[in-house]
Amino acid sequence: MRGDQANRLNNGGLIDRSAPLNFRFDGKTFSGFRGDTLASALVANGVKLVGRSFKYHRPRGILTAGSEEPNALVELRSGARREANTKATTAELYEGLEAASQNRWPSLNFDVMSVNQLFAPIFVAGFYYKTFMWPAKFWEAIYEPAIRRAAGLGRAAQVPDPDHYEKAWAHCDVVIAGSGPAGLAAALAAGRSGARVILCEEDFVLGGRLLADGGTIDGLPAAEWVARTLAELLAMPDVRIMTRTTLFGVYDGGTYGAIERVNDHLPTPPEHQVRQRLWRIVAKRSIVAAGSIERPIVFAGNDTPGVMMASAMRNYINRYAAVPARRIALFTNNEDGWRTAETAIAAGLQVAAVIDARPDVSPAHRSLASKGGFPVLHGSVAGVDGGKAGVRKISVSLTGGARAEVEADGLAVSGGWNPAVGLTSYHRGRPKWRDDIAAFVPDGAPPGMVAAGAANGAFGLGACLREGFEAGAAAARDAGRSGSTGSMPIADDAAFSLTPLWHVAGKGKAFVDQQHDVTASDVELAQREGFESVEHLKRYTTLGMATDQGKTSNVAGLAIMAAVTGKSIPETGTTIYRPPYVPVAIGAFAGHHRDENFHATRLTPSHHWAAEQGAIFVDTGLWKRAQWYPRAGEKDWLESVTREVKAVRSGVGFCDVSTLGKIDVHGRDAGTFLDRVYINAFSSLAVGKARYGLMLREDGIVYDDGTTSRLAEDHYFLTTTTAKAGLVMQHLEFCRQVLFPELDVQLTSVSDQWAQFSIAGPKTRDLLKEIVDPAEDLSNEGFPFMGAREVKLRGGLKARLFRISFSGEMAFEISVPARYGEAMARNLMIAGKPFGVTPYGTEALGVMRIEKGHVAGPELNGTTTAADLGLGKMMSTKKDFIGRVMAGREALVAPDRQVVVGIKPTDKARRLRSGAHIIPKGETPGPDNDQGYVTSVCFSPVVDQWIGLGLVERGRERIGEIVRAHDPLRGEDYDVELCNSVFYDPDGGRQRG
Amino acid sequence: MRITCPFCGERELGEFTYLGDAKPQRPAADASEEAVYDYVYLRDNIAGVMSEHWYHGGGCRAWLKVTRNTLTHEISAVEPAAGAGAAKVGA
Amino acid sequence: MADFSWDVRSPLDRTLVAGPYGVQGDAGVALTEIRNFDLVQVMARRGKASEMAQTAQARFGVAAPETPKAVGASDATLIWSGPDQFFMLSKGGKHSIEALAPVFAGSASLSDQSHARALINVSGEKARTMLAKLSSIDLHPDVFGVGAAAATSMDHTSVTLWRGTDRNGQVVFNLLVFATFAQSLWHTILDSAAEYGVTIGHSEDLA
Repeated sequence: MRGDQANRLNNGGLIDRSAPLNFRFDGKTFSGFRGDTLASALVANGVKLVGRSFKYHRPRGILTAGSEEPNALVELRSGARREANTKATTAELYEGLEAASQNRWPSLNFDVMSVNQLFAPIFVAGFYYKTFMWPAKFWEAIYEPAIRRAAGLGRAAQVPDPDHYEKAWAHCDVVIAGSGPAGLAAALAAGRSGARVILCEEDFVLGGRLLADGGTIDGLPAAEWVARTLAELLAMPDVRIMTRTTLFGVYDGGTYGAIERVNDHLPTPPEHQVRQRLWRIVAKRSIVAAGSIERPIVFAGNDTPGVMMASAMRNYINRYAAVPARRIALFTNNEDGWRTAETAIAAGLQVAAVIDARPDVSPAHRSLASKGGFPVLHGSVAGVDGGKAGVRKISVSLTGGARAEVEADGLAVSGGWNPAVGLTSYHRGRPKWRDDIAAFVPDGAPPGMVAAGAANGAFGLGACLREGFEAGAAAARDAGRSGSTGSMPIADDAAFSLTPLWHVAGKGKAFVDQQHDVTASDVELAQREGFESVEHLKRYTTLGMATDQGKTSNVAGLAIMAAVTGKSIPETGTTIYRPPYVPVAIGAFAGHHRDENFHATRLTPSHHWAAEQGAIFVDTGLWKRAQWYPRAGEKDWLESVTREVKAVRSGVGFCDVSTLGKIDVHGRDAGTFLDRVYINAFSSLAVGKARYGLMLREDGIVYDDGTTSRLAEDHYFLTTTTAKAGLVMQHLEFCRQVLFPELDVQLTSVSDQWAQFSIAGPKTRDLLKEIVDPAEDLSNEGFPFMGAREVKLRGGLKARLFRISFSGEMAFEISVPARYGEAMARNLMIAGKPFGVTPYGTEALGVMRIEKGHVAGPELNGTTTAADLGLGKMMSTKKDFIGRVMAGREALVAPDRQVVVGIKPTDKARRLRSGAHIIPKGETPGPDNDQGYVTSVCFSPVVDQWIGLGLVERGRERIGEIVRAHDPLRGEDYDVELCNSVFYDPDGGRQRG
Repeated sequence: MRITCPFCGERELGEFTYLGDAKPQRPAADASEEAVYDYVYLRDNIAGVMSEHWYHGGGCRAWLKVTRNTLTHEISAVEPAAGAGAAKVGA
Repeated sequence: MADFSWDVRSPLDRTLVAGPYGVQGDAGVALTEIRNFDLVQVMARRGKASEMAQTAQARFGVAAPETPKAVGASDATLIWSGPDQFFMLSKGGKHSIEALAPVFAGSASLSDQSHARALINVSGEKARTMLAKLSSIDLHPDVFGVGAAAATSMDHTSVTLWRGTDRNGQVVFNLLVFATFAQSLWHTILDSAAEYGVTIGHSEDLA
């Protein structure tokens, strides 16, 4: 044996002895081989103590060799890549791996918090609820932080994960979970039939239990059969084999979730590769060949390092050539457990004794015992002597009442096997109890899914192959594949006999759920306190709620509950199973969608030009919009925005407004259609004209607004707000397809087709004359307010020109096809240079619309009616339209509604804040006296103070009244005057000039 | 969940938007306020098979009538709304 | 009088860097932006689907697709975009909206989408594998053959995807994406493709 891997066998195992790997655990350097897990490498190095438990800080070792592991959880990697609660039993070893034990301070060997064990009586089930009741404020300040320090598991990295994750889709006829004998046989049958197959295996090699338990299939040693099968499957173009991939969930419509650990087995992912990939697999059929999980027997000291599942011990010895103990005792209640004694003998280890809870053992095993020179004790383990150094002595209570002691440094335990019923039960399925194997097996499954092999309660090798093969053939047939399946792989079935044993009563802590430190007496206590239902048991004791989801503990817990209530196990029942089957990193669910990719980003056609100008951008929905364009020497945003507003009001400016939703409405009935979706009439709109329109929801509340122009008899160009563009399109399609299918209307989004700029200010026409072909008449007569038509630009390009104004100034909006958008921005700068043209952003746009009293998002907020917005007169009485009837409801026409009104502080120096509540003078602030609130605010260069709009009860009747703006969030309270909402050019002369 | 769009074929849920019960019919222009109130607000909350409006906004933009069991999510029928593909019906 | 130039800029003009990207060596994915095309949405008027189809047949010599398919004519491609509607993709103005408007008058409504989309050509040995990260639809050759089309979504963004004729034995996918989303989706595509090695280019020619 190697010096630094003292517990490694000289021969055997599926490890690559030519590839030694160095790793560190708790700062100490060890070595292992390629093909090891961290757990198997620790076993090979004789490390038994790997962590401290959640609540009592008890020393814990390695219990299993798979994803069901409750104890051997470590912090893997360091720095930003530190991953808490990683199972050593599934973490693949790589050169330079770093891991640290968890939940101990200052060190694993000397842990201060292990004094918790002395206070164990107060840490019983429900201790949170009982112990830390009051005073209430102590909970957040003292109890919870203290408990969180004492209890809990690993530490997350406190900095962003530097690695990448992604999501992908896959489609197939048959997806198979697990590559043990059943899964491989299923893949063979389905693949040979011509089906598209995806085989998911969470391990990094195929074979499942065959890797540890071997056997003979089709006359070949299992390893050879696996290799031959793999070669055959790899030659099939439509069979995809995905290792390091766990099928963790099943969703409606034959969609499955799988997590592929693409590069978890490397220190860092290679450049351009992800760490993990989340798969959504769409499959016509699925086969759960996920095997079964060996279950512990609960006895005092069963959490001592060195107590290990019997099958896990075989994994370490046979697959990894790593020896968990030199002198092994076996505690079993079934035939299968004996394989561990056979394995130990074959590996040249000592068997101290077999403690068998059954009345009889087979003659073959009896002769094995006599050849091996070890006793067979009929009875059960009553307790384990040992500590952090591992098992030393095992006390046995023999059938008939006598006691015995066995000296051993390892104890293998087998309480039977639980089929992995997770996947089959995820749609609220309840597994059924089978007495012959004393286990729950699937009882039906989500549509399209079957279980095969050990996952279905078939424990023999021959039965696994048969069930898998038949399921694979049937699934392929169901998917319409009819190729020949060839011959079925054949193997013998070993006999399985078991006498159920769940819990050995005795002194000392006997753990049911080792990850959450739930003991048998906690389960009994829960029953005494009335928490008998398994769902209550789970929540009161936290049994099965840890990251392992109780894979080794749930059935034992409910068996103990059944025993104390006198019910049977099936009567006691199971809790509801929910995905994921193994923990999945949130990063994998997020995939690509983080940081700047959190959502898709939309850029306006002039975006890159605006960026060159140094624009500050703001996120508006998916859009990046230029918010303002700072200039050298300006001290803050307000100075820039004020400059932009003044430049527009005194000269000319322009703003990219391409973010507005733009919809082509075509068809003979386009006008009629618009009459029905807007409150005002559009069929009467003349060609070449634009009109402001308001849409309601069917409940009478305002939905959206915008201008719509008639470009031809049967063609309107409709605009929506930026925020509602997609929703309005959806709404209009609903009106077209569902409500009014009799109309001849076609709708197309043209939001991306047109780059649209607002050009505003008294010198707008001067600027436009430089751009537009001289033949076009832009005079007030030739192009009046609310005109809309196509024009030719200098150079021949065609554009659409709309004489509409949001700023209250003389203004046009001009549209050019989007690929000319950037050129348009540049040309506006060139053409406008003599007039001091100023690009302006959304802030200046907002200031000018508030000065002009135009409503926008804060007022169109899903609570306001047309009348609330001062637009009640637009509502046609001559036609039906969406929302007409409900808009007339008593409450929506009540005289005391909150309506849009202007607001300005009486102290001109005061800043007005949106969100402030309006309270009458002399009244106490509170819900009873709340008369509305401030919706939009800005600093108005025109009024030379902060102004705003608000929704205030009877606001328009109260112009001139002084009220309080009460702002408890910001601790402000000041007087404001209610005023006309149009602060600027109230008669509209400027925009019509 | 997956929905078979009658125009596009089977697609994943993310391409669709749910609206709600497809049974209520928008009352005629001269209907009473009560009828409109019923249409806007009154909904059956069916535990079982119901007809629903879904929008294939992430695909062909057709509005669909989907017959779905709200207990099992099983979809038994999908048909286009009256005006989806209306170019084939009489003018 | 000021001197204007009306330069066209594709939505990817500022983003696309021609040449290799990602893992070095043989590129598994080739991405080519096709620039400056004519794209017209043709939508049948109510009750006029067969008239529209006849008009399309007469104009292009092929039947307009009635199911999700892309049909090649001698100088244009007709791509299904929804019930009773299709895209007309062409170059050089021969089938621009101005040219088609009189042809389809009365049978279909036309909407110019030439500037509303970016067109990205995705090919290479790993094209399908890469697209599986973006597309929820099944692109297996038996399911999505040459000429298959789909109105679908990638990264929550509406796209039109169709399979062109194989080129040098390699699969070719065409992707029409909304122009204002194009840069964002382009970066997502590059992130998805980088591990396979990418060749990036742009072209004025329809594939």
